[in-house]
Amino acid sequence: MENTGKKISRKTLNKSFHHWFYGHLTAFSQEHMQTFGYLTSMLPIVEELYDNKEDQEKAMKTYTAFFNTEPQLGSIIVGITASLEEARANDGHVDDATINGLRAGLMGPIAGIGDSLVVGTLIPVILGIALGMSDGGSPLGAIFYIIVWNLLGYFGMRFAYFKGYELGDKAVGILVGAQGKAIRKAIATVGGMVVGGVAATWVTVKTSFTLRNGSGKAYLVLQDKLDSVYPGLLTAAFIVLCWWLMAKKNISPIKVMLILVVVALIGVLTGFFNPGLKY
Amino acid sequence: MTISWLQASILGIFASLSSMPGMAGSTIGNYTLGRPLVGGLVCGLILGDLKMGIAAGVAMQLVYIALVTPGGTVSADVRAVSYIGIPLAMVAIHSQGLAATSANAADLAKSMGTLVGTVGTVLFYGTATMNLVWQHMGWRAVERGEFRKLYAVDWGYPWISHLIFSFIPTVLMTHFGSSAVQALKTALPMDGIPMKTLFTVGALLPCVGIAILLKQIVDGPVDFIPFFVGFTFAASLKLNLVSVTVVSLIFAMISYKLDMAINTNRQAAPANTGGTVDDEEDEDI
Repeated sequence: MENTGKKISRKTLNKSFHHWFYGHLTAFSQEHMQTFGYLTSMLPIVEELYDNKEDQEKAMKTYTAFFNTEPQLGSIIVGITASLEEARANDGHVDDATINGLRAGLMGPIAGIGDSLVVGTLIPVILGIALGMSDGGSPLGAIFYIIVWNLLGYFGMRFAYFKGYELGDKAVGILVGAQGKAIRKAIATVGGMVVGGVAATWVTVKTSFTLRNGSGKAYLVLQDKLDSVYPGLLTAAFIVLCWWLMAKKNISPIKVMLILVVVALIGVLTGFFNPGLKY
Repeated sequence: MTISWLQASILGIFASLSSMPGMAGSTIGNYTLGRPLVGGLVCGLILGDLKMGIAAGVAMQLVYIALVTPGGTVSADVRAVSYIGIPLAMVAIHSQGLAATSANAADLAKSMGTLVGTVGTVLFYGTATMNLVWQHMGWRAVERGEFRKLYAVDWGYPWISHLIFSFIPTVLMTHFGSSAVQALKTALPMDGIPMKTLFTVGALLPCVGIAILLKQIVDGPVDFIPFFVGFTFAASLKLNLVSVTVVSLIFAMISYKLDMAINTNRQAAPANTGGTVDDEEDEDI
C-alpha cells in the first residue's frame, strides 16, 4: 500500500497542540461547545496525512460530532485521536465509529477527573497560596499565581497531549480499564477531600438568626449553636442540598440557582440571612 | 477617581480576553486573566492604584474561589467580576474615601463584584448565543470542504461576539461608572432587601459550584466521606488547603494500592472466571 509508514511530524503535532491550547473554547456555544476547537486542532494533522481532498473531507467529518470535556486534561483525548488518525491513514482499520466512540466514551470520565482535579483542587490551592501573599495589597500573590498556573497549565496540557499521542488507543485501556478505574478512584479521593477543604475554607453560609430576651440580650445565636455541633454545618448542609437537588432530583443548575434566590429572599425577609453590609 | 475612555477601552480588551469562551483561550483567558486576583492587578495598573486594585481583587477572589463552570454552566461571569466589578469598586472605594485595605472597602468590593458578576451572566449567554452564527458559517465551510475557514470561525469571528458582549458593555459601564455607582447606591441601598438578597445569593452560589463538582465524584452517601473528611480538616482542625491536599495523598495511595491488589488477585483467579470479571469492569465505561 502506498500509504504505509505515514507519520505525523513533530512540527504538525505541535501545531495541533497549540491550536487546542488556544482555541478549544474560543468559539463556544451551548450547542457545540468545544467542537470547533477540536476541528481546528485536527486540521493540520488531517492535511499532513491525506494528500487528496476527498480523504481530507472524510477524515474531518469525523470530528464534527459534539465534543465537550475539561479542556486542560482533555488534551489527552486530542492526542489519542491524533494517533488514531495516523493509524487510519496507514491501514484503514480504524474507522469513524471507533474514533467517535472513543471520544464519546472519554469525554465524561475526563471531565469528571479534570473538573475535580484542575478546577476543584489545583486552582483553589494555588489561589489560596496566592491570596495569602497578596494580603495587604501586594502584587506578589497575583504574579505568583500567573506564573505557577500558566507553567503548570501549559506544560501539563502539553504532557497530556503527547502522552495521549504516544499511547494511542492503549491510553484508553489505562484511562478506563482496571488500572484507570483505580487511578480515577484515587484521584476522586484527593479531589473529594480538597473540594471539602475548599468548601470549608472559602464558602461561608451563615445565619444571623438570633433570639433576644426582653432586655435585648441575645440568648440564642443560632450560628454559634450550629457551629458547636459541627463547624461549618450550615455551609455543608447547603452544599449537600444543592447536590441532592441536582443529582437525585435532576434539577438543572440554573434552576437550583433560582431556588437559591428564592431561599435567599425568604431568608432575608425573615432575618435568617443578613450579610450586614453597608456602603 | 474617574475612568477615561482610553482606560475603559483597555479594560474592555481585557474583558474580551477573559471569561469562559474568552479570546485568550481558557488557560490564559478564563483561568488567569479572569481570576479576580489577577484582574485586581491589571485594573490596579490601568487605573494607577495598584494597592487598591489588588485589595479589591483579593476581596472578590474570596467570593469566587470556588467558582466552577462545568459543562458551560455559569453562576457568575468572571469578565464582569474582574473588569467591570473591580474598576467600579475601586471608584466607589475612592469616592467614599475608604482606606484601600480596610474591611469596609473589602465589603464594598464584594457586594459590587457579586452584583456585577451575577448580572454579568447575561454577557456569558449573549456571547455563547452569538457564537452560534459563526458556528453556522463553520458548518457551511465544512460542507464545502473549505476547512481553512474554520480558523476564522474559531479564532476570528468570536471577536465580534466579544465586541458586542464584552468590549462595549465594559467600556460603557466603567466609563460612566462613577455616576453609575452613585445612582446604584441611591437606587439599591445596602441595607435594603434587594441588596441583602443579592449578597446572600452571592454567598450561596459557590455551593452550587461545589455541588456540581461533587455530582461528578459522588454517587451515594459513602462517596461523601472524602468530602466531609476534607471539610472537617479545614473547618474543625483549621488545616490549610496545601495540608489537606498532602493528607489526601496518603488516602489516594492506599485506595490505589488496594484496588490494584484486588485486580491482581482477580487476574490470578482461574481463567474461567476471568472473563466475567472483565465484563464487570467494563460496565462503568
